[in-house]
Amino acid sequence: MTRVGGDRLPSSIRERGDPYLATLIQQIINGLSLGSVYALIAVGYSLVYSVLLFSNFAHGGFLVIGGYICYAALRTFNIGIWMAGALSLVGAGAAAILTERLAYRPIRERTNVTLYLLIASMGMSIVIENIFVIVAGGRFRALPPVIPTTPVNFFGLATTSAFDLLSLVSAVVFLGALQLFLSKTRWGLAIRAAAYDLRTAGLMGVNVNRLISIVFFVAGALAAVGGIFLSVRYTLYPQLGAITIKAFVAAVIGGLGSLPGAVVGSLILGLAEMLTAGFISSQMRDLVVFSLLVVTLLVKPTGLFGKSVSEKV
Amino acid sequence: MSDAVMNEKKALLEVHDLHVSYGAIKALSGVSLKVFEGEIVSVIGSNGAGKSTLMNAIMGMVRREKGEILLGDVKLDSRSFRVVQQGISLSPEGRKVFAPLTVLENLKMGAFPRGNDSKVEEDYEWVFSLFPRLKERISQYAGTLSGGEQQMLAIGRALMSRPKVLLLDEPSLGLAPIIIKDIFKELRRINNEGVTILLVEQNARQALLLSNRGYVIQTGRLVTEGPSEELLANADIKAAYLGGGHAKGKTTQALA
Repeated sequence: MTRVGGDRLPSSIRERGDPYLATLIQQIINGLSLGSVYALIAVGYSLVYSVLLFSNFAHGGFLVIGGYICYAALRTFNIGIWMAGALSLVGAGAAAILTERLAYRPIRERTNVTLYLLIASMGMSIVIENIFVIVAGGRFRALPPVIPTTPVNFFGLATTSAFDLLSLVSAVVFLGALQLFLSKTRWGLAIRAAAYDLRTAGLMGVNVNRLISIVFFVAGALAAVGGIFLSVRYTLYPQLGAITIKAFVAAVIGGLGSLPGAVVGSLILGLAEMLTAGFISSQMRDLVVFSLLVVTLLVKPTGLFGKSVSEKV
Repeated sequence: MSDAVMNEKKALLEVHDLHVSYGAIKALSGVSLKVFEGEIVSVIGSNGAGKSTLMNAIMGMVRREKGEILLGDVKLDSRSFRVVQQGISLSPEGRKVFAPLTVLENLKMGAFPRGNDSKVEEDYEWVFSLFPRLKERISQYAGTLSGGEQQMLAIGRALMSRPKVLLLDEPSLGLAPIIIKDIFKELRRINNEGVTILLVEQNARQALLLSNRGYVIQTGRLVTEGPSEELLANADIKAAYLGGGHAKGKTTQALA
C-alpha cells in the first residue's frame, strides 16, 4: 500500500492541549471511516452469503470493477464524480449479475452443494483480476482528486480530513438505503425471507433467479462505493480486491450472514486498525486484525451476531 | 355426485402419469389423480411412499421426469414461482414458516405474487378470521410461535396467494390431537369458502374424515382410490393405515 490516510498526526495538534486525546479522537474518526468502507464491502458479501450460503471470493473483483469504471469515466469522459460514481455503481452491479449468471447459476441449478460455488468464485476472482491486468495493465493508478482530502477541524478537538468524513457519511447513506430497501419493499422482504430459507421463498411465488440477481446487483454496487473510496485512500490496481479479505474477517467477527454483524465487525476492525496505527505502529495493523479474528473464532465461533448453522462453506 | 357426472366434469387439477426420480431411486412411478372444483381430496400413505414428492413435483420444486399436470386447461409450469402465479400454493411439510419474520411479514410473503393488489389487506382479515390466534400474534416473530400456531401461519400464508387449489403437506405433523382437530375444522371452513384442497397425510383417519375422496399411495404408485367413507370402511386400509380396526387384531393399536 502506498499511502495510508490519517496515520500521521498533523503538527498543529501536537502544539495544543492533550496530544493523546487528540490522537485518540482523530484515530477514532479515521477508524470509523475505514471501518465504514469495510462495512460497504462486508455487507454485500454477507448478503450474498446469507442467501446462497457460500463465500463469494469474487466479491473483491466487483470492487475493482467499480474502481476502474470510475477511473475510466473520470479520465476519458471527463464527467463529474457523481456521474462517474453512478456509472461505477451500475456497472459493478451489472458485472456482479453477469458473474452470477455465468459462473454460479449453472452450478446452482445442478447441485445443492455450495462448495462448488465457493470454488467457482475463487476462479472468477482470478478471472476478473486478470482481465484488468490485461486490459488496464498492472500498474498503480491514482484517481483524479475528485474527493476532497482537505483537513477539517473537528470541534477544535482534533483535525481530520474531509475524505474520512465523506467516506463515513457515504457509507451511512448507502447502508441506510439498503436497510430501507430490505425493511420497506416487497423484494426486500423477499430477500430477508430467502436469507432464512431460499427454497421456501421460491414456494411463495418469488422468482428466485431474479431475487439472486437483485442481491448480486446490490452487493456489486455497494462494493463499487467501497472501491471508489479505497482507490482514493490507497491507489487503484488489479489486486486491490485483495483488501476484501479484511471485509471477510469483519463479516466473520460480526457473524456470517448477519448484516448488522457485518457493519459492527467492520467498525471494530477499522477502529482496531487505526488505533493500532496511532498508538503502536502502522506495521502492527494486520497483526491486530487477524488476532481479533483468531480470538473471535476461539471465544465465539459464530461471531457477535451469528446464528449457529452447520454445513456452510 | 354420481360417477358418470364425475367423469364428464372437467377436473380443476389433473395429474397425469407423473414420474419423479432422485438419482437412481424412483420416487413416483406414474401417478395420476384428479381434483374437482370445491373438493377436498386426500392422499394417504406411509412414510416414504412419495407423498411429499407428489406435492413438490406439482409445485415444481423437484424435476418432473415425465407426465403432465393441468390446472383447468393450462399446463402447469415447471418453475415454482409460475406455479404459484398460476393458482396453486403449498403449505409445506414441517411448516417452514420464516422464523425471523413476523407473522404479518410471513403473510405478506404469501401474497408476494399479487404485487400491490389492494385486496391483500382484506385477505389478512380473512386469514385472521380463520385463525384468530394469528391476529393476537401479528407482530411476533414466527419462530416464537407454538407448533400449532406455526401450522396455522403456514396455511394462512399459503392462502394469501388466493390459490385455486391449496396443497397441504402433512398439516398434522408433530401436533397434539386437540390442535389437529382445530386445524382440520378450519380446513373444512376454508373449503366451504370455495378453496379446493389436496392434502397428503400420514394421519389417514383425520384426512379421510375431512376429505370427499381419497387416494392411497404406496411406493410411488396410487394403489386405491374412492370416496373417503368407502376407504374408511375398507378392511385392508383399516389394517394398513387406520389401525385397530382389523378383524383378527393383527395390526397394532399403535398405528392409530
